[in-house]
Amino acid sequence: MQVDPFMQSLGLKYPIFQGGMAWVADGRLAAAVSNAGGLGIIGAGHASGAVVAQEIERARSLSDRPIGVNVMLLSPHVEDVVKVILKAHERITVVTTGAGDPSKYLPDFKAAAIKVVPVVASVAQAKRMARVGADAVVAEGMESGGHIGKLTTMALVPQVVDALNIPVIAAGGIADGRGLAAAIMLGAVGVQMGTRFLVAAESKVHPDYKKAVLKAKDIDTVITGEYAGHPARVLKNPMANRFMRLEKKEAAKSNPDFSEVEAIGNGSLKTAVLTGDRENGAYMAGQVAGLVTQAQPAADILADVYQQATQLMGGD
Amino acid sequence: MTNDEIFSKVQAIIVDQTGEDADKVTLTTNIKQDLDADSLDIFEVINEIEDEFDIKIETEEGIETVSDLVTFVEKQLADKE
Repeated sequence: MQVDPFMQSLGLKYPIFQGGMAWVADGRLAAAVSNAGGLGIIGAGHASGAVVAQEIERARSLSDRPIGVNVMLLSPHVEDVVKVILKAHERITVVTTGAGDPSKYLPDFKAAAIKVVPVVASVAQAKRMARVGADAVVAEGMESGGHIGKLTTMALVPQVVDALNIPVIAAGGIADGRGLAAAIMLGAVGVQMGTRFLVAAESKVHPDYKKAVLKAKDIDTVITGEYAGHPARVLKNPMANRFMRLEKKEAAKSNPDFSEVEAIGNGSLKTAVLTGDRENGAYMAGQVAGLVTQAQPAADILADVYQQATQLMGGD
Repeated sequence: MTNDEIFSKVQAIIVDQTGEDADKVTLTTNIKQDLDADSLDIFEVINEIEDEFDIKIETEEGIETVSDLVTFVEKQLADKE
């Protein structure tokens, strides 16, 4: 399988991004993925600029390969995080962005020679990103874990590919070589995977959370926040059930007040990642959790996915 | 283009995108809150407005009501002349 020139230009051996999962994707995981030939991405999430700076430092101490950072645009620290990235620009190859419109930060990133790859969930959003100068987009379907849009990967990716003249990376519902091969068939130049890397040997995710992902079946994810706003895909657990029950109850009222629901959600991903507490932690994961059955080192994940896709596509 | 003309075009775009009845989309309507539009709907509306009026909307910051949108379009059109 030929790696697309855009992915090659980023210095990648495999056309695979590791999703910049908040709290999960730290400097160690990103470095492991990058060292093995994929693109490791540090998830800034809601972390402060200082924490992101530390993780960049850590990734850089472990790897001299290309590294990315995902900027979560809803974070209260977004301005600081952007400053940290711009300061470290010679050490950052790619910035991906999530949950919003990164237009106003684009000129500074581009001036710093950082490739900007926003995560998009619709054609209109993708077109807008292309117009303001994005280098590529990640088109992410609602099969993915964490915050999601409405379209599925199968429907979204080819429509975004048709609408843009820049490379498209497919995400959502991809966990093996079949997914990578399918994404290439849909017109993508590569894929971004989250859930499979969440359980990687180098991932710091609490063992109980990892176990839940490895054990999960196809129908074990649910969407929280469908009424309260910012829908997110998580594994069913006591926290998710409590959240959804209260959310539905509020939504049925004429004047719903979601503050109590939001209070359950606040900090729940951090709780899951650090403590594994299933009563209070949000076990974010994609629908492919049912496909992810073994915890492997990042290098093995990348090699497996790539080899399977190559074989399926009839190449060598 | 008069304000009324701008409003009726903006209204038509929002009606089209959100599936609401035209009488629910007035100048004081808050696009996100009153019409349950999410951020993807907003991108859609902004794209359509950019095409319709041949203007560029760099950020949706500060745009909450239909009136904000109309004022923005008005200003952009005036700047073009």
